[in-house]
Amino acid sequence: MTSPKLFSSPRTQAAMLMGPAILVYATFAIWPIIEVIFLSFQSWDGLSADRAWIGVENYRRIFTEDPVFWAAFRNTVIWTVMSVIFPPVLGLLLALGLNENLFGRVPLRAIYYLPVIVAPIAVATMWRWMYDPFFGLFNQILTSWGMTGLIQDWLGDRKVALYSMFVAYTWQHVGFSMVLFLAGLQNVDRSLVEAARIDGCNRWQGFVHVTLPALMTTITIVLVLSTISSLKAFDIVYGMTGGGPAQSTQMLALWAFTQSMQIFNFGRGSAISVILLLITLAVIIPYLRWSQRREEASR
Amino acid sequence: MTSIISSLEDAEAPAKRRDPLLIVLWIVLVSVALIWVAPFVFIVFTALKTNPEIMSTSAFAPPETMRFENFAGAWERGNFSTTFRNSFIITLIKVPLGLVISAMAAYALARIDLGRIGKFLLVFVLFGAMIPFQVMLAPIFTLVNGLGLINSYPGVILAYLAFGVPYQVFILHGFFRAVPKEISEAALIDGASHFTVFRRIFLPISLPVLAALLILDFVSTWNEFGMALVLLQDPKMWTLPLGLMSFQGQFSRDYAQLNSAIVMTVFPAILVYMIFQRYFVSGLTSGAVKG
Amino acid sequence: MAKFVRALALSTALTCLAGAAYAQDQRLTIWTISYQAEKQVNALKSIEETFEASHPGVDVEIVMRGTDEHKTSLRVAAGSNTGPDIYMSWAGLGLGGEYVKAGLSRDMSKYYDQYGWEERLSAPSLAFNSAFAEGKHGIPFRFSGEGIYYNKDLFEKAGITAPPTTYDELVEVAEKLKQAGIAPITFGGTVNWHVMRLMDMLLEAKCGAETHDALTSMEADWSSTPCATEAFAEMKKWGENYILSPFMGIDEPQSNQLYYAGRAAMALQGDWFVNQLAENTSDVNDFGVFKLPTGTGRLYGFAEYWYISSKADNPDLAAEFLDFFTSDELQDQIKGSFGALSVNTNVQVAEDAPAMYRDWLALFEGATGTFVNGDQAFPLDVTTEYFRVINEVASGNMEADAAAAAMQTFIGNRG
Repeated sequence: MTSPKLFSSPRTQAAMLMGPAILVYATFAIWPIIEVIFLSFQSWDGLSADRAWIGVENYRRIFTEDPVFWAAFRNTVIWTVMSVIFPPVLGLLLALGLNENLFGRVPLRAIYYLPVIVAPIAVATMWRWMYDPFFGLFNQILTSWGMTGLIQDWLGDRKVALYSMFVAYTWQHVGFSMVLFLAGLQNVDRSLVEAARIDGCNRWQGFVHVTLPALMTTITIVLVLSTISSLKAFDIVYGMTGGGPAQSTQMLALWAFTQSMQIFNFGRGSAISVILLLITLAVIIPYLRWSQRREEASR
Repeated sequence: MTSIISSLEDAEAPAKRRDPLLIVLWIVLVSVALIWVAPFVFIVFTALKTNPEIMSTSAFAPPETMRFENFAGAWERGNFSTTFRNSFIITLIKVPLGLVISAMAAYALARIDLGRIGKFLLVFVLFGAMIPFQVMLAPIFTLVNGLGLINSYPGVILAYLAFGVPYQVFILHGFFRAVPKEISEAALIDGASHFTVFRRIFLPISLPVLAALLILDFVSTWNEFGMALVLLQDPKMWTLPLGLMSFQGQFSRDYAQLNSAIVMTVFPAILVYMIFQRYFVSGLTSGAVKG
Repeated sequence: MAKFVRALALSTALTCLAGAAYAQDQRLTIWTISYQAEKQVNALKSIEETFEASHPGVDVEIVMRGTDEHKTSLRVAAGSNTGPDIYMSWAGLGLGGEYVKAGLSRDMSKYYDQYGWEERLSAPSLAFNSAFAEGKHGIPFRFSGEGIYYNKDLFEKAGITAPPTTYDELVEVAEKLKQAGIAPITFGGTVNWHVMRLMDMLLEAKCGAETHDALTSMEADWSSTPCATEAFAEMKKWGENYILSPFMGIDEPQSNQLYYAGRAAMALQGDWFVNQLAENTSDVNDFGVFKLPTGTGRLYGFAEYWYISSKADNPDLAAEFLDFFTSDELQDQIKGSFGALSVNTNVQVAEDAPAMYRDWLALFEGATGTFVNGDQAFPLDVTTEYFRVINEVASGNMEADAAAAAMQTFIGNRG
């Protein structure tokens, strides 16, 4: 039996409590981050025993020779910019509406939130079928409305494919922003809003001067979470277009996967991962600092 | 229409006067909600039609007869009994186990003074909540393959556990810190160990948060795709999302069964959400906004 | 709750017991791609059952996956200790050669001698087995040719009396169909390899056998070889005028669906497509097939091989299974299910086979050689780029000379 002495030190107890989580986390989450950085400087096919150290060669090739990388980079940026604008704005509007004392607002909230819990790959499959150029929902509706001129090859035309995909993404993600904003609105002092009203502010002025400042924290969090989740866009691209047509909807996360797991160029794939990692860090480090300052200030 | 709404409004808040703006708002919200559910309706209707019916009838025309055999067919063809079982086993083990280890770690980080190390460990763990694992699929694959755990439950569960820890620790840490000091100190002075304090005091009071996290984690584990894609190569080990993807690849021309497959994949998560909706939303918001 | 736990423990114990009993049997695991026609799936099932019946204690397990998943899984198998005893892959350096190079395949020379497979199997199908490395790797179980299927009614409606024999005639046919308001041909763009078949044909037609081979083996320069640019220019023409549109947003099964429904007059498909037509249309004789009119006399096609894994526990048993698979008796029994022609030269086409089988037989016999699909000739990264360039050209976003230049730049950069 273990001696009681062993448990006496709080440090030992802490170590035993944290042990399992830290161990599994360090092995399966932190080690791969270190590994991906190493791999990005190596040439490896994922199979053979020898991994050659080749310095920044992978990066040089990605930047200067990879015909898809910059398109993937551009798409990732467009996608991220769209994801920090559309779902949060729509989510905020819905939250403001559903914060009013309306009939049936609880089921309405549930409906808007429902897509969030659907597996992204199922969303991809659903929408892919709705976008089917011959029998899908959209072209069927356009035909029945006599608007055949608007019929598109939604996922096959490079001019619209990325945006078609984004519509599906928005459908899935609006509910998430909405819920966060609804929670944030709980913190807005109702009496202040009423007071502003009595003072002769109209709704818009009340919103700008009272509600919006009180929502600043929530807005920051929503924007950061939206950015991170947009950088992760993988399932939906994999399931809807696979990066096509002609790699025109390719994005960094999927292109890294393709290089490593399908072309078996682990070095190149890892270098793309590292670039995505750096972009992510550029967003989250300022955020972590900001939230730390906020926490210290609130103490 | 408007009279109905306003009368309902009256019923709900009799003291309030009718606000025309609110009525317009209500109509807008309901119309948008209709658009939001339309894809679900379309998918369910398609799943219940025959293939010729799909080609010939309008998208929102209800099926003439309910063809439930589409579901049976898709179940059979898509190996749903296998993928369902795998998803079920993985979720059933991963979710409670992950919560327990996260709660233990969160307690230690929040309530045991470890000085600088404690601070460092906290940042170390929280860092992971922000990093998308999608960028690390290849090294995760290499690692799990090196351990000989490809195509096994332990391989995928360990990876899931690792990426579940940061977010759960983040939320539970915030919750545990907010518990008044007096509650635990009295017990500690009486000679109880931290294990006892954790089990007897902190676990019981954190049950609502744990319930919320349980549901959140259930949904995200159930839906996970990317990691399963690289770690589970054997169709016998596939989870539901992998099965659905492969179904789409092979039987995309059988629209009725494809849509049945989508419905069957999505249904369990929706069911859980419907039942535990209240916890779900509070769990999401407690951590992210207030924490 | 306690009841539940007890039930769980009991079931776990039972599973362990079952597993232990199982382990005493010999197991033969076979990995292959999932075949679409029911005939093929049934043939595999019956082979499994027959072999198990004649070999008591042997448990044959056939694992089928989607094509891309299959390739990735083999890759994993090569790098770990798990994996099949026998696996299916294509012949040719691009795909099959990849795994041989990775050490996943076992030299089968011994079994070739022991069972006399060289005498039994057809020459074109065997052509690849010693090209990979020392010794003999893999045994062919299927040789597939690809050609153009046409819908007889639609050809008649457009006033076309005979299938084209040259590339120019093919373009004329397509033009006539288009004038008659009929989509000439259908492809599914999302899977990439489907549209690629058209490009392979155009390269063969424009460049001839020798230059085409030099291009696919990356010895000739794509940008300074004019015929490559010409082929891309033709590709653009087909994409803009003759392929049932839109095609980039649909996959191959959907494209086939449209073909069965008579939405397009032609489809570039393999000999296995006869079965699919028979299963999905009212009368398979409404369709005909002709050889790709490339002018070189070579047949467009590829071989599929069974390989014995270097990690197989019992390679002799695996060889016995493969001998059974390619035997006169079994091949006669399953003939027609994997294509028009058996790899076993002793097997004749069945009397009641669809007429198109005879056409295929003629195409096979009249061929002066073969050229393989681009994705089997190129290494994986070049294939990815080849797909991208073809799709760009087919959807009208890239000019022909830019396409040839892009190919060459990519190949040049590989260094």
